Amino acid sequence: MEREVILESQSVTKHFGGLAAVEKVNMKIYQGEILGLIGPNGAGKTTFVNIITGMIPITSGKVYFKGRDITGWPAYKVGRIGIARTFQIVKPFRGMSVRENVAVGAMFGHTGHTRSSKEALEKVDELIDFVGMSHLKDRYADELTIPYLKRLELAKALAMEPELLFLDEVMAGLHTKEIESAMALVRKINERGVTLLVIEHVMKAIVGITNRVFVMNFGQELAQGTPEEVLNHPVVIKAYLGEKFAQRHMKQKAVAAKV
Amino acid sequence: MNVEEKKAPIRITRFDGLFRGRQRLLSGLSGVLFAFLFIFPLFASGFWLNTLTSLLLLAAMAEGWNFIGGYTGYAAFGNVAFFGIGAYGTALSMTKLHWPFFPGMIVGVAAAVAFAIVFGLPILRLKGHYFAIATVALATATGEVANSWTSFTGGSAGITLPFFHPMQLSGQYFYYLSLLLVVFGLFLTWYIMKRKLGYSWVAVREDEEAANMMGINTTWAKVTAFALSAVMAGFAGGIYAYWRTFVLAEEVFKIDYTLQMILATVFGGPGTIFGPFIGAFIYYILVTILVFFLPIGQLHATLLGTIIILVMVFTPKGIMDFISGKRKLTWRALLENVRIYRV
Ligand SMILES: Nc1ncnc2c1ncn2[C@@H]1O[C@H](COP(=O)(O)OP(=O)(O)O)[C@@H](O)[C@H]1O
Ligand SMILES: [Mg+2]
Repeated sequence: MEREVILESQSVTKHFGGLAAVEKVNMKIYQGEILGLIGPNGAGKTTFVNIITGMIPITSGKVYFKGRDITGWPAYKVGRIGIARTFQIVKPFRGMSVRENVAVGAMFGHTGHTRSSKEALEKVDELIDFVGMSHLKDRYADELTIPYLKRLELAKALAMEPELLFLDEVMAGLHTKEIESAMALVRKINERGVTLLVIEHVMKAIVGITNRVFVMNFGQELAQGTPEEVLNHPVVIKAYLGEKFAQRHMKQKAVAAKV
Repeated sequence: MNVEEKKAPIRITRFDGLFRGRQRLLSGLSGVLFAFLFIFPLFASGFWLNTLTSLLLLAAMAEGWNFIGGYTGYAAFGNVAFFGIGAYGTALSMTKLHWPFFPGMIVGVAAAVAFAIVFGLPILRLKGHYFAIATVALATATGEVANSWTSFTGGSAGITLPFFHPMQLSGQYFYYLSLLLVVFGLFLTWYIMKRKLGYSWVAVREDEEAANMMGINTTWAKVTAFALSAVMAGFAGGIYAYWRTFVLAEEVFKIDYTLQMILATVFGGPGTIFGPFIGAFIYYILVTILVFFLPIGQLHATLLGTIIILVMVFTPKGIMDFISGKRKLTWRALLENVRIYRV
């Protein structure tokens, strides 16, 4: 059975002056999946998300959301149609309480038009519980530590009730234990029916939660496949570890395979 | 343990949230002030009544500036243009069309709002000091037009308006009208800040990109804040014109008025409901003291500008923070402010 495509990018390209930050990327995200997006620093992952979400203008290419051409839409329209994201460098509303921060998502996001500010403020309790911040509800965002700011990013995006959610390195800087709870959280989000694109450097997390992985390098697609396929692919190892390491790594694997 | 948790961060005071603690202190103070203001004309007239009317008009304009500068976080340095347009719109309607005062004032306010929308759309795309400079330039240019378009505005001869009747009630009339405008401004602020529009303003102030991504039409948020600040200043201009019965471009487009609005808001606490109102009093008291002790006769724009910079650097949340003991004057706090606000 062919699964439904929720988002499709066709030849999406972004040039910053002479730099091709994203070059002709064709990506399909299927309804209900967790797609991993990996690649070395500077590969263009964040830029790709910035283009799709309308935060920066596209140089060329097309973006379709549920078959609808959303190329060049302003970010707020993309947010309202059912796409949400977190920011790698967190962007809390510092002068608002945790509750207000999250409620903004419920006021203006995918389903925002259906409720007033008061209804939104009342509605977000459950969500703040869900990300484990109920004891911090009435604290101001500028009082939070980084791990909680990352959770707040997540809660704000979820409050928009998106169909598609981009997570940009939400696990960076977390400890092993925090990563495990974050992984559980991502799975639970997916179980709620949200399709996810997860950008992550923590390979354990990629292997643990994604169904499929898309690899970028120098702005281009490098490989696609299941986490196991992709992470053992020589090209991918080379991109991550460099030529010499890759050769050594492959030799070791070959030796190990013989034995 | 996390790096962030190792030591408690320095308490950096930023602009207030929607209803952060200080609001209660401010509203208490405001209650006392209102009781006083309401009965004031019973025992005062002449000079003091006029002074308080000017103060109330400043408070009303500061309430308007608070929408764009305090809540939305855009350093608008040209709000006097709305005041001037409100004054001219009222004066022209009353003299050329012979309209009564209230419809005339509505024309002035409508003109100020239209101006805010038409010019707000392009200049609200600018950020930080670019926006600030654009607003100064816009206000200055508008004043120049009013000054030189002699056939329409009377140019440097100004416009003389009809007198208010009966004359002996004029003082009280404009005083209470200004007080009403201030109360309207407070109500408007309270009303908006409970609603989605208020949240969209604060979201834009705190992080415009994030606000946009979360479904907020940030252009709409900024333009409404700008236009509603024009409503307040436009009304103030209309009242001013009829009260003084004379409108002159050099006077009603003076940058000093903009600086006063900003100072009043910043003194009392930007992004709070009662801050601009309280701040207008603080401003008048400070000016009175300064004029008394300094041999200058009046405060010039340069001095006002210098005070703005000092206040922004030392107390970005308004001097109410000193009074409530939340903030101390230290070099460390000063440097933090410089870093955060890039002043
Ligand atoms: N606004 C920008 N202006 C210029 N260059 C940029 C901008 N944003 C990103 N880049 C460049 O684009 C490339 C891709 O960056 P990014 O998308 O952040 O990579 P990743 O998220 O994969 O680490 C980098 O070389 C980065 O320096
Ligand atoms: Mg990135």
